[in-house]
Amino acid sequence: MIRHSFALRTALSAAGLVLVLSLLGAGWVWRQGEAELRAQLDFTLAAEAEALVREAETLGLAGLVEQARSFGRRGSPLLVALQTVDGAPIAGGLAGASPSLLRGFATLRAEGGRGPLRALGALLPTGVNLIVASDLAPVERAAARLAWAPVGAAGLAVAAGLALGFAGARRLESRLANAGEAARGIMDGDLARRLPANPRGDEFDRLAATINLMLARIEALMAAQRQVTENIAHDLRTPLSRLRLRLEAALAAPRSPPADAATMEAALAELDQVLATFRALLRIARADSGAGRAEFQPFDLSALVAGVAEAYGPVAEDAGRQLAAMIAPGLVLSGDAALLRQSLANLLDNALLHGGPHIALRLSAGPVLEVTDDGPGIPAAERQAVQGRFHRLEASRNTPGTGLGLALVAATARLHGGALDILDGPGGQGVTLRLDLRARAG
Amino acid sequence: MRILVIEDDRATADYIAKGLQEDGQVVDVARDGKDGMFLAMNEPFDVIVTDRMLPGANGLSIIRALRASGIATPVLVLTALGEVDKRVEGLEAGADDYLGKPFAFAELRARIRALARRPAGPPAEQTELVHGDIRMDLLHRTATRGPRKLDLLPTEWRLLEYMLRHPGQVLTRTMLLEKVWDFSFDPTTNVVDVHVSRLRRKLEAPGEAPAIRTVRGAGYALEAAARDAAG
Repeated sequence: MIRHSFALRTALSAAGLVLVLSLLGAGWVWRQGEAELRAQLDFTLAAEAEALVREAETLGLAGLVEQARSFGRRGSPLLVALQTVDGAPIAGGLAGASPSLLRGFATLRAEGGRGPLRALGALLPTGVNLIVASDLAPVERAAARLAWAPVGAAGLAVAAGLALGFAGARRLESRLANAGEAARGIMDGDLARRLPANPRGDEFDRLAATINLMLARIEALMAAQRQVTENIAHDLRTPLSRLRLRLEAALAAPRSPPADAATMEAALAELDQVLATFRALLRIARADSGAGRAEFQPFDLSALVAGVAEAYGPVAEDAGRQLAAMIAPGLVLSGDAALLRQSLANLLDNALLHGGPHIALRLSAGPVLEVTDDGPGIPAAERQAVQGRFHRLEASRNTPGTGLGLALVAATARLHGGALDILDGPGGQGVTLRLDLRARAG
Repeated sequence: MRILVIEDDRATADYIAKGLQEDGQVVDVARDGKDGMFLAMNEPFDVIVTDRMLPGANGLSIIRALRASGIATPVLVLTALGEVDKRVEGLEAGADDYLGKPFAFAELRARIRALARRPAGPPAEQTELVHGDIRMDLLHRTATRGPRKLDLLPTEWRLLEYMLRHPGQVLTRTMLLEKVWDFSFDPTTNVVDVHVSRLRRKLEAPGEAPAIRTVRGAGYALEAAARDAAG
């Protein structure tokens, strides 16, 4: 598992790069160092040769011969040889190398397994060829030592880097393993599980926090979906079984065109009711999923409310009620106009079907939308429940409706970041349904 | 009237075709998007009814292709139950009307008729709507029946205007809710009936011929007989 580690791979690549670069650097240092050391050696040879020539001028050839011999005796790193113009040795020696007449610098190949020699030859006025030479091997050794030093340091750095990389990979592996385990737990159905996040807040913790928010959203969506499924299973089964019984009974009865037509009409009406419930459920689920939020458009909320009020005014009047509308002008909201129109219609439908003789519709800045009526109201204990799906008050079991009206209003409020509040009406009479659309944080 | 029905579900397609044929229409049926696209592009139709989800090419891409080729045949899009809120998307693609499945056949028939008889010119260019002795001046915003001036509230005005644009045709409650009130849902209370009966009271003074006919189980229609009164 650790072989396929990003951290380790990064550490290995970095180590490889450091090694290659340090080798290139070592080559460069070696070349430069060797050239520099050779120049130094040449300088030393020249100084020594000059000193010898000056001594020859004062001591004569005999003194020079004695000097050359003494270099050999002392075992000096410098070799001094004197020879005739023809190459016949006079004194001293070059450790096996025997060049013919030498003037100026040269690199000589020595015999007897020694490294090459750097030599400087000068022709003295007495007809003697003076050669001063030195072994080149120390120069190369020094250059190599110089060159290998950074390579050694790089090697240490690489080893340390690899060790750190391996440790980091192990650490990363264990943190990711925790996250992976949590993810597998979630896949196995534990939707409440979350990724571990330290309060320390490094980049992994921040990522985990974001993913946890996403998981919370998914959990909420799944819960909503499950609720819809359960609603469908429980609340659509009743009308559908009723429909089945009705058709079965009609089929068993003797054929009679008028009775059959009546049965079919009743069946169609029942089916339409089921479909309406279905549509409402889907719409609520869609609002709850937040899917429409990306398509929110700013629109004139005041005009929308005025339009709905105008549609419902005559309806209230014909039902012997009064609908008073107080609409603050020019309120613009970014949201789903179709859902808000339906929510307001649902609130007014409710007031007309279950409420008292006076209905007040008020839109005020915020925006806050209120529908108040002076009817029997909603008991405080049921105010939360009526916002759920299919909850109907005992008193209204036999009035038309799907039991989904307020659920849609509540879902619409949530979609817009607001809430549906159910309050006592003014003076404690009746009820006020307040659709608060002031977007709330979170 | 020649109608193209593009629908991949055989039962639904046959049901629509049979219903429309009984109505006296000529119906061509395409069972996938490719055939539908080919027919729609190459044959003249008065109305096209297409499913939204189709094998081959989907309904919306057929509409886009038609509109891109300059073919303005009215198109009605049918959608599955799960796509209740896709209406806007369909209308933006160039569809003229939108109907969710399952639907009542009467609803489909009413909508097809309303589409087929749309005026050729854009509605904005019309300054006056006339049907029988009912007259509506869109510039001065006045309406009359015969010599009598009609005093209409804004909603009643919109309702009458929509009916005058589709004289004699059955307009279902759903159509009225959508076009007059912009309601894409069915309210529990009888909003449409209340407003129609108020408009009717204003249109039909004592002694005048009925102007709005109630079509049982379907909707309302501006009375064709009103034309006779004007000669």
